[in-house]
Amino acid sequence: MTPEIFIQILASGLLMGLIYALIAVGLSLIFGLMDVVNFAHGEFMMLAMYATFGAVLLIAIDPLFLAPLVVAALFVVGATAYLGVVQYAMRAKANLGMVQIFATFGLAVVIRGVAQLLFTPDYRNLPPNLLGGKTVSLGGIYLPLPQLAGGLVSVAAFTGLWLLITKTDFGKALEATREDAGAVALVGIDKNRVFTLGWGLGAALVGLAGAMLAINYYIYPDVGAPFALIAYVVVALGGFGSVFGALAAGILVGLVEAVSAVILPSSLKAVGIYALYLAVVFVRPRGLFGSL
Amino acid sequence: MLSRRRFVQGTALTAAAMAGPARGQAVKEVVIGALYPLSGPSAQIGVDAKTAFETAIEIINTAHADLDLPLAKEAGLPGLGGAKIRIIFADHQGDPQKGRAEAERLITQEKVAAMVGSYQSSVAATISQTAERYSVPFMSADNSSPSLHRRGLKYFFRAAAHDEMFSIIMFDFLDGLRKKGEKIDTLALFYEDTIFGTDSSNVQRKLAGERGYKLVSDIKYRANTPSLTAEVQQLKAGNADVLMPSSYTTDGILLVKTMGELGYKPKAMLCQAAGFSEQALYDAVGKQIENVITRGSFSIDLAAKRPLVGKINELFKARSNKDLNDNTAREFMALLVLAEAIDRAKSTDGGRIRDALAQTDIPGERTIMPWKRVKFDENGQNNDADPVLLQYKDQKFVTVYPEQAAVSPAVWPMFKA
Amino acid sequence: MAVHALPRDLAETTAAYDRRRRNELLFFGAVVLALAALPLAVRDVYAQNVIVLTLMYAALSQSWNILGGYCGQISLGHALYFGIGAYTTSLLYTKAGILPWFGMLAGGLLAAALALALGYQLFRLAGHYFSIATIVIAEAGLLLVHNWDWAGAATGIQWPYVPDSWATFQFGRDKLPYIYFALGLFVVTWLVTFLIEGSRWGYWWRAVKDNADAAQSLGVMIFKSKMAAAAVSAFFTAVGGSFYAAFVSYIDPESVMAFQFSLLMALPAVLGGIGTLWGPALGAAILIPMTEVTRSYLGGSGRGIDLIVYGALIMVVALARPQGLVSLFTRRPAPKV
Repeated sequence: MTPEIFIQILASGLLMGLIYALIAVGLSLIFGLMDVVNFAHGEFMMLAMYATFGAVLLIAIDPLFLAPLVVAALFVVGATAYLGVVQYAMRAKANLGMVQIFATFGLAVVIRGVAQLLFTPDYRNLPPNLLGGKTVSLGGIYLPLPQLAGGLVSVAAFTGLWLLITKTDFGKALEATREDAGAVALVGIDKNRVFTLGWGLGAALVGLAGAMLAINYYIYPDVGAPFALIAYVVVALGGFGSVFGALAAGILVGLVEAVSAVILPSSLKAVGIYALYLAVVFVRPRGLFGSL
Repeated sequence: MLSRRRFVQGTALTAAAMAGPARGQAVKEVVIGALYPLSGPSAQIGVDAKTAFETAIEIINTAHADLDLPLAKEAGLPGLGGAKIRIIFADHQGDPQKGRAEAERLITQEKVAAMVGSYQSSVAATISQTAERYSVPFMSADNSSPSLHRRGLKYFFRAAAHDEMFSIIMFDFLDGLRKKGEKIDTLALFYEDTIFGTDSSNVQRKLAGERGYKLVSDIKYRANTPSLTAEVQQLKAGNADVLMPSSYTTDGILLVKTMGELGYKPKAMLCQAAGFSEQALYDAVGKQIENVITRGSFSIDLAAKRPLVGKINELFKARSNKDLNDNTAREFMALLVLAEAIDRAKSTDGGRIRDALAQTDIPGERTIMPWKRVKFDENGQNNDADPVLLQYKDQKFVTVYPEQAAVSPAVWPMFKA
Repeated sequence: MAVHALPRDLAETTAAYDRRRRNELLFFGAVVLALAALPLAVRDVYAQNVIVLTLMYAALSQSWNILGGYCGQISLGHALYFGIGAYTTSLLYTKAGILPWFGMLAGGLLAAALALALGYQLFRLAGHYFSIATIVIAEAGLLLVHNWDWAGAATGIQWPYVPDSWATFQFGRDKLPYIYFALGLFVVTWLVTFLIEGSRWGYWWRAVKDNADAAQSLGVMIFKSKMAAAAVSAFFTAVGGSFYAAFVSYIDPESVMAFQFSLLMALPAVLGGIGTLWGPALGAAILIPMTEVTRSYLGGSGRGIDLIVYGALIMVVALARPQGLVSLFTRRPAPKV
């Protein structure tokens, strides 16, 4: 392998990793807040991609500028999922964990079915746009603009999230609720409201990832599944509930995947990611930055 | 107990003996089962197949005097007193066990006279075995794995070509170019880790060895992977004279997009259809791969020589808003071939239909395919299903090989260096 | 394993406990007899196919429940053991002519050994970290088999087409042999669960759930008992996989090792009542026919309606009966998990 190829692979892995991180952080946030693993996370991303596709066709503005709209739409989807399904799952008196898993799993299947019903199973792609298919070459290292934009947006989103959690009242309520959901009621925080907003925020984040990914990716009802599996591994690798962990783990997974595809047979590259996860949790059973 | 099938069969024979169309009303319909993935990652294929079959049914069940296709001229099956064909769709979700269960259900509950399917070769393996056990013919419309017809099954039929036939024509084409002085020495195989990708690459690897081509890349990738960057990087580094992908639509789109992102322009691409026959891929990335060549069972430009093809395409397009492609054309034709045999069998009995299928001999002109004819060998394979090579030029497919079918010569290489 | 007469909880006298255990066994016997008679009444092949799958998933879920329900180790990677059973049996049969019955045993033992080796590392992980670890190990296994040319890789393994015989466990049209084998497997897994419930292990596991201090004092023994439970669970899951391979006569990596199998083994237990004796069977009896019927009679439209119905039913059951459907039939609250 020439140094040039090696740098190219690292650069590509890094950009992909930032996207993985952005997909995963919403999952991690929701988990940190209320110990729920959302099995419909990949389907949220799929919805965001369809939303981008639909918005482009309807409004004919570049998808890049439609991302805020998609994020807002997904916020509503997430909040609705909480109010319509998850809050009932939270009330279970027995088997809490499994009820949540299967309530969200059922939700995922329903969303896929609805997507097939509404959008048909055809593969969709955005029409030519500002970034799609464009790439810049820096001394022989190619950086595709959609992924570059995705990476930058991801970094910006993480910065924003950090500010939100540390500097705002909502962030403090979020933090307080995740530490002791029972006690916050005493200080006048409406737990249900925080959870609703948390789900909205989690879905909005994966919505942002979906909007960025849609620029240069095919869209169909099952598009979320391969990303969701990676997102679960990223969240666990980083440590459930840790926002920074999701970022670090996402990047790490992107890099390891890119390198594995070269040193292993390509069809086994995911084994590299899986081995990384096992190696980390055998040494650190709570993931890289898990505090729980 | 007098089963419904026996009853139908009995009345069918009576009707045939009396040979009166009025009396033939006793058999009102012949039921055929179609097994496809109608949900899950391959649902799009199944849903398109549904439209292809519905188009074929329309041609069989209503009179189309202007179409020179089997069973087009009269309404229904004349051999069964004008009985209509009804098709029942079953969803196997790409799972061999479900395919088998659905085949059993169609045979025992719906009393289908024959079955057609199934896209995934792994599912065709279990469906055809079930068909054999119940003595009900299975017509493989679009499975390309060569292993399927080599199991000594009596009730398995495939009118279309399999991967070996497809790959041979690809290498014949390359040999021809070499003779004309093109420099083609190195190949890159790029294939998904499914039965399709494995079968395709195995044949290609063998042929490359036999005919003196060097493989500079031999990359098996995980189907539906989120990213192909590292894989394309390797292809670019190898920079083979011909890139030969065996990929479905999703990965095909991702492959071409990633090639663009990494500034890789292969000298030529020769594709094993699948995703590279799908309009969705060309809608997404067609501009980037102008002059790509793919093998096919079907080409829409046949319509120039045979207006029939254009008419069928219009009928299909009216239903689906899509042109016929490699898959839908094969599916359409498979049902016609099957119905033609049922008509000759004058029966809905599996054994009789099987015998009629074995006698099938339809000239190529009475199909919508570039085939010489439809005639099954002792394994149920049609060896006269000549494939073609198609080149994507100016947003259209043009047949470029073999010479007798070619509409214009191939542009080679794809990108002028 | 002897049934130790340990009281289920302190409020229950030994005599009452013995009576309840005996009644459970009697009830089980009645259910098995009814199930054995069922295929004689239901002759339709499609319905019999659904019965085979229902009994198989009941047995698989019962095996899963030993580890996932009673020990609280939520594995979402049991497809690995299922695949090991299916592949060991198919490879031994097609490559060496070894009859599937021996392959079944070999596959079961291999899976149990692997479960012991993995359990040693994995049981140190808590909650979701454990579950994700089981997922990635099973997925890695799937990928390795997918790339293992000698085992057919993606092409899979086709069983030869042979006349009906119990020796090769191949029956062309007849479903009864498969129904009775699946029923037998279910009976064995139920009885094993029944014995475990009444044994020291069952007592320890309940104690640990009720009382964290008990976990401390029982630490080493609990660890060993969980390892044993993992091995038992893996063994029967692999036997189920062997059965499936013989039943379908064709396997490929995706059709026996995909993630969905892991979910399908856990789902009936969760639906019926996790960590309960009857939960997996009850869950399978509802879930599997529902899955099959929605696909067969709604899936043909190609419009995703079967998915919507299936997903909505799972959601509704999970929300309406969090402690599992089995709670509809018992007055005692289901054990906490």
